[in-house]
Amino acid sequence: MRGAPMADGAAAPRTARRLLLAAACLVMAAPFAWMALTSLMGQLEVFAGGSLLPRPPRWSNYPEALTVQPFGRYFLNSLVFATAVAVGQVATSATAGYAFARLDFPGRDGLFMLFLSTMMVPAVVILIPRFLMIEALGWIDTYQGLISTELVSVWGIFLMRQYFRTVPRELEDAARVDGAGRVRIFWSVALPLAKPAVATLALFAFVDAWKNLLWPLLVTRSMEMRVVEVGIAAFHSTYEIHWPYQMAAGVAAVLPIALLFLFTQRYFVRGIQLEGIR
Amino acid sequence: MSRARQPALAPLAAVVLAAGLALVVAIAAGRVQSVRVASAEAEARMAAALWEAGGGVPAVVGLLGERATMLGAGDGGEGAGAYAYEAGALEPAAWIAVAPRRAGGRLGALPGAALAIALAGAAILAGWAAGRRRGPARSRYPGVIALLSIGCVALAAATAGRWADRELRSLSAATVARGAQAVELALAGGAEPARAARVAGLPWAHDGSLESSDGQWTMPSEVAAAIAAAPDRGSQPAGAPAGAPYTVEAGGATWHAARAADIHLALLGYERTASPALALAAAGGLATLLVVLALHLVQLAARPRALRRTLAAWGLLAPAAALILAFTLGPLVFSLWISLHEWRLIDPAPLFLGFDNYAALLADGEWWSAIGNTALFTLHVPAAMAIALALALLTRGSRRAMRWARLALFLPGITSVAAIAVVWKWLLSDRYGLLNRGLERVGLESVPWLTSPDTALVSLMTIGVWMVVGYQMVVFQAGLAAIPRDWYDAARIDGAGPWQRFRHVTLPGLRHTLFFVFVTSVIGSFQVFGLVYVMTEGGPLGATDVAVYHIYREAWEFLQFGNAAAMSWMLFAVVFAATWLHFRFLDARRAHG
Repeated sequence: MRGAPMADGAAAPRTARRLLLAAACLVMAAPFAWMALTSLMGQLEVFAGGSLLPRPPRWSNYPEALTVQPFGRYFLNSLVFATAVAVGQVATSATAGYAFARLDFPGRDGLFMLFLSTMMVPAVVILIPRFLMIEALGWIDTYQGLISTELVSVWGIFLMRQYFRTVPRELEDAARVDGAGRVRIFWSVALPLAKPAVATLALFAFVDAWKNLLWPLLVTRSMEMRVVEVGIAAFHSTYEIHWPYQMAAGVAAVLPIALLFLFTQRYFVRGIQLEGIR
Repeated sequence: MSRARQPALAPLAAVVLAAGLALVVAIAAGRVQSVRVASAEAEARMAAALWEAGGGVPAVVGLLGERATMLGAGDGGEGAGAYAYEAGALEPAAWIAVAPRRAGGRLGALPGAALAIALAGAAILAGWAAGRRRGPARSRYPGVIALLSIGCVALAAATAGRWADRELRSLSAATVARGAQAVELALAGGAEPARAARVAGLPWAHDGSLESSDGQWTMPSEVAAAIAAAPDRGSQPAGAPAGAPYTVEAGGATWHAARAADIHLALLGYERTASPALALAAAGGLATLLVVLALHLVQLAARPRALRRTLAAWGLLAPAAALILAFTLGPLVFSLWISLHEWRLIDPAPLFLGFDNYAALLADGEWWSAIGNTALFTLHVPAAMAIALALALLTRGSRRAMRWARLALFLPGITSVAAIAVVWKWLLSDRYGLLNRGLERVGLESVPWLTSPDTALVSLMTIGVWMVVGYQMVVFQAGLAAIPRDWYDAARIDGAGPWQRFRHVTLPGLRHTLFFVFVTSVIGSFQVFGLVYVMTEGGPLGATDVAVYHIYREAWEFLQFGNAAAMSWMLFAVVFAATWLHFRFLDARRAHG
């Protein structure tokens, strides 16, 4: 993706390529477009059919749908959850990643392999014990119950380790000559250099937490603690056939992530590419 | 190797060992105390019910003797060791306070405790000896100390566990006996049998039969007596035919209990805590870990630079390591433990089953059909990969166009699964969905996308492709960009056509990327939950009942956590086998060139 001329001359000509890409985008975006269009229709209009466009757009669906259930509270909960998880994962991954990349201590490689091997475990295996632990701690339906299990990411540790290894050692050596300790070097030399990796990890952590349905479904009970994902699912079972309301809630749930992606896409792409080529 | 640091070894080992032992004993004592309080609470409830049944003060005093005190409102719970229970049946002003009973169980584990203390002594002695001795032999001591300490803490854990178990059993038996006494007192006081039966607060004999509090099953009193006489809870009652552990012969007939846990629940309704073995093992393991780490530090003390480096590394690793230990590795072991039990949230003490859960699952058709559905669903991965690879190849080099295309391609994969599920359910709705309307408009039959067992899973697979294809495409683009151009040039010079270049340059160059995408997508696909939960709830007729959804229902709808944990391990095994086989396959291919 370096914008170099095509490596393989057999690829399709430019216009055809663009057309194909446009067609793919259309297919991918169509459900979202239909979501947005339906969200502006009246309930009768939806079942009468006949037109793809809402006539006239019924904007009041949004305030109505978002207040029949406390969606404001859901969004706040999702924001708290996703932000805490992102901050926590960056903190734990940056420190551990630096230790694995730069510090030499006995048992380092064994410990790193142990960490990596936990990535093989499907999340569902540890779901039940985690739930029972949170229940025993009395943390059901609390923020700490929601957040505490998600604060570390082995993928994040791996990402940070790989990144720290690419940072030139000379800078750190210079700091060491100046008398800085190891923790100090991590904080004021290495970490600032790793900002792109930190941004990538924070974004992925935030998005993954935002779209996590199963864990919040299990550990929250009251409406006050519900996150958006659980809220949408619950809203669906309550307003089964009121499609415009559901679509309005859906648009509200998709929009923040879409906007986030729009402004930060290079970090997403970097993360995915780092993941893909090893 | 200076001599100055050596004396530190013995006191350090002693302190860590003492802390580990204290932790182990404190956990066991806490368990015992909580059961004592629970049993006092149960007795207070009995006394209140006895009062309500017409027994009055004499009956309560007859039941509990000096341990019961009548209190006015506001005095509740005063006095050391008193437990106050607000009896709903009493006048608002009256309370009954019951002091927790001492079970009087003997320690009965003295040999184990003595051995543990001896081992601890040996460990400390070894530490002391290490401080006196010089030369290379000295370096062996930390290992010896660590081993002795592990043995010591494990023994202490086992001993404390046995002590706690014994106390729990004797308290449970005493509480059950107290329940029988309460029923007798109520009957003697002239209460109706049906009412008297409720006094004990658990299913109890009346009118010749035992009845569960929710009325789900009944059992004659002889049967209840036979079960009560069985030495261990959950084990096979005397006289039951072999192979039918939950069947009892009594009163000239054979009686079946629905589950062992029901009997268990009936007899030990007050025992709120499980056996402390697991907590003790965890405490022992943790203490051992601390011992080993501390000894390691002591060893390093001779080289200040290495010591500082190690301490810095540990400090930086501590948050991540602690969280992984607590919320991933610990639960992994715990999950295995749960899967060996009949483990229900409502059940006070899980019943050890060994591998019965797994054996039952092997013969469980619904579970295998869920695994089958999951495997079928996973077939969407190769389809998506083919499309994504084609798109990546065809858009190779369109850097600027990609910038605006990315949002559309990516959004399905990164956004709210619930919202996606809802909009697809609307698109695929039978009568009013956009797709079926379109089909009818052009004169075709509408399709029951989600409401027919034949099409529902295929519909979900299509949505699965839609969700992952954009992400996979970006990974492939990165992989393609990493293939050296020289390879293509060389192939062209050799006269390779487009297909041959794809076959012999692109595919081998992408091998690692393909493997990565395949494995991560398969693992993700085996864990599909949100789509099914929102769109189909496993239906119609179980056609979309996938593994994680099946596990979710088993645990959180039917509360069979033990069974669900066993399922999750079987799923793990299947995923592991799949990734391993694929890995071997790639390896073999690489070996053959």
